Amino acid sequence: MSETVTLPEFKPADYKTDLKPVWCAGCGDFGALTGLYRALTELQVKPWETVVVSGIGCSSRLPGYVETYGFNGVHGRALTIAAGVKVSRPDLKVIAVGGDGDGLAIGGNHFMHAARRNLDIAYFMMDNEIYGLTKGQTAPTTPTGDKTKSTHYGNPEPAVDPCELAISFGATWVGRAFSGDLKGTVELMVKALSHRGFAFLNVMSPCVTWRGDDQFKTLKAKQRQLPEDHDPTSRPAALAYTREREFVTTGVLYEVAEPSFLDRLAAVKVTALAGMPAPTVADVIKTFQPSF
Amino acid sequence: MPKRDLTVAMVGAGGDGIVTMGDVLAQAAAREGLNVLKTEAYGPQIRGGESSCVVRLSADPIYESGDAIDVVVVFSWADFARFKGEVMPAKNTVVLSDEADPVARNPEDLGLGAEAVWIKLPFAKLSTDSGAKGSKNLVGLGVLTALFGLPLATLRRAIVHRFGRKKAAVGEGALKAFEAGHALGQTLPPMPERQLGYTPGPPKLLMSGNEATAIGALHAGCRYFAGYPITPSTEILQFLDEWLPKMGGAAVQTEDELSAIGAVLGASFAGQKAMTATSGPGLALMTEMLGLASMAELPCVIVDVQRGGPSTGLPTKSEQSDLWQALYGTHGDAPRVVIAPSDVEDCFHTTVDAFNIAEEFQIPVIVLSDQLVGQRRETLDPASLVHAVRERRLPTGEELTNYSRYKETPDGVSPMARPGTPGGIYQTNGLEHDESGRPASLHVLHERMNAKRYRKLRPIRDGYTFHRRYGPEDAEVGILCWGSSKGVVREAVRRANARGQKVAAFVPQVLYPFPKNEFETFLKGLKRILVIELSYSAQFYKYLRTFLDLPHERTHIFKRSGGKSLTLEEVDAEITALFEAERAGERVSA
Repeated sequence: MSETVTLPEFKPADYKTDLKPVWCAGCGDFGALTGLYRALTELQVKPWETVVVSGIGCSSRLPGYVETYGFNGVHGRALTIAAGVKVSRPDLKVIAVGGDGDGLAIGGNHFMHAARRNLDIAYFMMDNEIYGLTKGQTAPTTPTGDKTKSTHYGNPEPAVDPCELAISFGATWVGRAFSGDLKGTVELMVKALSHRGFAFLNVMSPCVTWRGDDQFKTLKAKQRQLPEDHDPTSRPAALAYTREREFVTTGVLYEVAEPSFLDRLAAVKVTALAGMPAPTVADVIKTFQPSF
Repeated sequence: MPKRDLTVAMVGAGGDGIVTMGDVLAQAAAREGLNVLKTEAYGPQIRGGESSCVVRLSADPIYESGDAIDVVVVFSWADFARFKGEVMPAKNTVVLSDEADPVARNPEDLGLGAEAVWIKLPFAKLSTDSGAKGSKNLVGLGVLTALFGLPLATLRRAIVHRFGRKKAAVGEGALKAFEAGHALGQTLPPMPERQLGYTPGPPKLLMSGNEATAIGALHAGCRYFAGYPITPSTEILQFLDEWLPKMGGAAVQTEDELSAIGAVLGASFAGQKAMTATSGPGLALMTEMLGLASMAELPCVIVDVQRGGPSTGLPTKSEQSDLWQALYGTHGDAPRVVIAPSDVEDCFHTTVDAFNIAEEFQIPVIVLSDQLVGQRRETLDPASLVHAVRERRLPTGEELTNYSRYKETPDGVSPMARPGTPGGIYQTNGLEHDESGRPASLHVLHERMNAKRYRKLRPIRDGYTFHRRYGPEDAEVGILCWGSSKGVVREAVRRANARGQKVAAFVPQVLYPFPKNEFETFLKGLKRILVIELSYSAQFYKYLRTFLDLPHERTHIFKRSGGKSLTLEEVDAEITALFEAERAGERVSA
């Protein structure tokens, strides 16, 4: 006799904690958070089998608002913590979140290596082209010439495009979303969360306080969808939609199937064992006894 | 009468096979059940270059490298000069050098006495003549075997095992070189008073401190390791990379030490026992997240195999100057535990203890090892590697209803839910947080949560205090030292008492939380106190002063920079000077 088990159905509210976000009214991160609630709902992810990890910054407060296991770590290190969670517990769904400063400035090195390893996580970078939590300093994504609190005479540095970096670092799924476009954001988050390997989603998330109302309006005006004939397996095609000035193109820029980090680590285990049973610690110790 | 103890030094250029020679000798001795302590030193070259190796063999337990080299084999005097002060022959040392060496030395150059034996031998020529060119190390081993009564049959087996594993012919060739040396040795004047005498026993394990640390981690249940290569700790990464995948775990070489500690904290959060290993510069990079571990109450083990510092310092040489970094490194009030191994076997036990403390009390634990214990090899009795393992406290079903991750408890330890547990969901934080883990910055709460985190130290201090005490109860002079200084101090205490000087020593294993009661008990009744450490700025002495009233006029410090191991001669001289001062009624000054 078989028994039918009905899976609990999760609604967006089930992924919501009762902690009130610290974000300013009108912050783009609200859109990203709502997008995440809906994406988790769509995938019916079990809250207790999910871990949301972050570093420091406005957007890094996000784990506190999601009713899953959460880890708000230190500045720039979200991906390192996420790697430890995922590699030691492949059964958990791991999502890293944070801002552009957290992931590209102080944490830039980890971004490169998590992408290179094809670590099995989704990484959502809420990109507002500014440091919000510290009240308005320049970020690696701030356009050249922009005046911020730390570039009084105009930003002398060129900006980076996070998607371009992700593709060149070896990420196997790279997308761009605009948090003002909720439907599109949910869709892309669902795809990122379903990818096997390192999925990077750059969520353009305006900062109304330090970038002004203009940022939202400009992003909205510049946003366009990828053309339907875009080939996401082509690196040059994907890179053509990075470093754009006139547009902000949203969609799945790049997607290829490669063995993920966990796939490779599983293969390492098979090679290491070479068909032999797993050794005990006593077996390890025995190798230190002269055997001649 | 045969000797129960023999110390052999070997010095040569790159390609002379010094390391292999030492390995084979140590392996054979371990096979015979002898006690072995082996240290190596290298030049700064990445590969090749001069190297020296000192192997001490004894029928009795040994604690340090020994102060008297019985025999030194020198393949190259030019390279010998590069180890000035590190390989120091005694007055009566037997010096075996290669007659083909273009650099000539005589006994006076080395300050040897009339009782020294000076023999020039055709090491290189014999090697070539035997058909095994480039095997002068084995010729040397053959000569040593004949001269000092080393176990011939076992050495033969050790050589065949070492060289004949892949190709039997290579093993046979190696054996020919060894036999040629042995035959030569038998033609030399016998030295009956220098023969090694012992009764063979069951084989012993031969391992380095870093290997013992890694085995301790495996034994404790560590199944996740993340680390970044750094001398002199890299062997731990390499060892676990070989074994963890076979045991269902994972070892990952991260992009830097920041990533290593981050990954360890992630794995710990996910419910795994996790460890990283580094040296001083790496620990410096990890200190921010050491604070995170303290704040978020994440169990983790960080091994620091100390080397000379600051900055790049002396990467291949030992020093005890990371003490303050381990005790105080990171901002804020961040409780952690610091525990120091003092020999190879201790590396195993301190690592298991570190995991036990970390898991039981949800606190970061630093194992403060050093190059000397980390990279030297010692023999161990297989039965000595036994240690009870403790586990993290998970919430009960009852505790999971209205679960509070950081719930106040009498001992400060709150049950820690493992992701995957329904009902255990929480969000942890490097921000100050309330009992549920939510960010909060009210000062009253901050005070309370600090108190909760620090409260855990008391049961650790009471439950894990472990120290070693050597010497008589009624000692007049008491030595305080820590970590790798133990071996030399222990031997110095034995010798001092043998010559009628009442000296005792106290060596704590857990450095923080501070074992105040045990220290104070030891200090009672002492006339003089001697603090010994390899730190130029006397970090240990100054640390002791924060807890103990060490009377200025009765306390003496022996401290110096690392780069060279503490020697028996140094400690002996300090002890003798203190007894003389006591007799003369002089004040000594810290």
